[in-house]
Amino acid sequence: MISLKKRHASLFLALFWMLMAGWAISIGSQEKPYFKIVDDLSRTVKIPRNTSRILSLQPEMTRIVFALGAGDQLVGLDYFIRRYDHLFPLISARHSNLPLVSISPESVNIELVLRLKPDVIFASPSEFQVPESIQAKTGIPVLALSSMGRFEKLIREIRLAGQVIGRKKRAEELISYFLEKTGFISSRISASKEEEKPRVYLSFWSSLSRPPVFYEPVNVAGGINVAEGLLPEYLGTLGTVVELEKIYEWDPDIILVQGNYPPGQRVVSVPLILSDRRLESLKAVRNKKVFYTFGFWYWWDPAEVLVETVYLAKLFYPQKFEDVDVEIEGNAIFNKFYGIKEGFTALCRILECREWLHE
Amino acid sequence: MNRKSRIQLWAFIFLLLLLFFLSLNIGSYSISPINILKTLISAFFPSSLSLPTAYADILFRIRVPRLLLALLVGMSLSVSGASLQALFKNPLVNEFILGLSSGAAFGAALSIVFLGKSFPPQVAAFVFAVGAVLAVLLVAGRSDTHIVTLILTGVIVSSFFSALLSLLEFFASPYALQSLFFWLMGSLSMATWKDVIFSVPLMLTGVVIMLLLRWRLNILSMSDEQVKALGINVRMEKILVIAAATMATAAATSVAGIIGWVGLIVPHLVRMMVGADSRLVIPFSAVMGSIFILLADDLTRGLTSFEIPIGIFTSLIGIPLFVFLLKKSKKVWL
Repeated sequence: MISLKKRHASLFLALFWMLMAGWAISIGSQEKPYFKIVDDLSRTVKIPRNTSRILSLQPEMTRIVFALGAGDQLVGLDYFIRRYDHLFPLISARHSNLPLVSISPESVNIELVLRLKPDVIFASPSEFQVPESIQAKTGIPVLALSSMGRFEKLIREIRLAGQVIGRKKRAEELISYFLEKTGFISSRISASKEEEKPRVYLSFWSSLSRPPVFYEPVNVAGGINVAEGLLPEYLGTLGTVVELEKIYEWDPDIILVQGNYPPGQRVVSVPLILSDRRLESLKAVRNKKVFYTFGFWYWWDPAEVLVETVYLAKLFYPQKFEDVDVEIEGNAIFNKFYGIKEGFTALCRILECREWLHE
Repeated sequence: MNRKSRIQLWAFIFLLLLLFFLSLNIGSYSISPINILKTLISAFFPSSLSLPTAYADILFRIRVPRLLLALLVGMSLSVSGASLQALFKNPLVNEFILGLSSGAAFGAALSIVFLGKSFPPQVAAFVFAVGAVLAVLLVAGRSDTHIVTLILTGVIVSSFFSALLSLLEFFASPYALQSLFFWLMGSLSMATWKDVIFSVPLMLTGVVIMLLLRWRLNILSMSDEQVKALGINVRMEKILVIAAATMATAAATSVAGIIGWVGLIVPHLVRMMVGADSRLVIPFSAVMGSIFILLADDLTRGLTSFEIPIGIFTSLIGIPLFVFLLKKSKKVWL
């Protein structure tokens, strides 16, 4: 009798423990409805796990959303993408009619944002108070993310975007592709000695005298940006202003002009530099080594900056990259990111950078 | 002008010339004074010396036009400031009081944002700077001899053009805004011979007119009734001074952007030195204004490896200097 009672008791106890363990497991596996991300303004933002409606006020992030295949989840567009971006119609012309939610970085139509009911908003960290202000007014989580002109941060941005919009796998696929391409370039130029590297001056932001103090595509492609380090890194400033004769002091091998401006809006152009009598004794001008590169266009387009790096590598080391066809490579990269064919060719035609094409 | 003042003025002119030649040696690209001299000589005797071509390019295509512009811009701004202060009998008046800077900024913005190469910012800035002052005279109408009316109308027109500028900025593409922002800070870094040829005749004409009118400014600084009693057409005289100051300042602003404080600080320094007599203030302001801008430009070129816009430097140097001298002299010069 006693042994039966004991057996029943131990059976009951075992069942009880099993039930408790099962309950504990179910509690543990039950996810919270949100997760936290620390954005580029060091704000901790609670992001809902299921985000089906996205609003991006940051052009670079809008392009990443498309690259992740979540373009249809966008509910509105910012002023830059809608009005000034020649890339966007190539990526997706049919999304060009999405509601316009901002007319400048600081001027966001909050009532329209509320009407569009996004689950998450992406904004630029360069407009310091805007993300917090929108979040406070709408109650919708606002993530301030951007590459700030660094590959490492671009990769983090793609990864976080993938996490937020539930496209982690695609994000990792794009990151691997990006790293594979840049790794390929690095492996080809790794044997180059420091003195073999071309010294490059970049004329950005519509001015001959405004170079970026850091431009990673040049470094990855094996060039030396002569203006690098002109300002301390902790300032976080991307560009500076130099005297014309500072360019003489550097006497670069190559001058690169920001080519992302539509031809009609170029204040500085390759012909203008080549015909500027003040610059005619510069090595790059004498040797006619003045070219366009893409440069920033409200930060980057992940596909464009990757093609740019390949292009620069070939420009700096034509023999080492003899087998690389920039147009074919460029179109393949655009196809990988956006699923569009001949995207690079179309972009070069818009920007009239025909020297990058076969034609 | 007494003998002492004449000697002082010549001493400053000598200092200005010396500074001009010293400034030729300042820049990021290192050229020794000997090579500067040789390059200067080689301009007259081309085959006598063999020097790197970069020397001649830097000296004659970058430094000389820049320094010439600096010299004339400083002269124009300070002489205009001094003349208008005498005319308006107010030491707080500056060369931009009649809406000139707002007009110039709007003109440059219109060109950068919408008009592009067909209407360069230099030309647009000049046209709208003159336009703003003409608007002040037009709005003030027949009462334009009345100082307070002119100053108030200047404030109104200035505000109007500032509002138009804000409107343009609002609709401008972000990349046009970058160019505009840079222009508004004031800089001589991109000076070319084209700028010199365009602006120097205008600046010189304005300055020479103001120099010629310097003794009349003493009379105009009396009350209008007193001036009329001397048989002088006050309205015409005032318009002549305003026109000359506008021409010089508009030409300076169109090529160098808005360089603040020069027309306020330099005439004050001069008055502390030589008194309030316009016959002395105007020529001394011309020389001291040039020295001031040349020094500020030397600092922007020589202190750092990057270039800080000169408009920032004139304020950074000028204001503390002005406060120091004002405290030291314990006087208010009118």
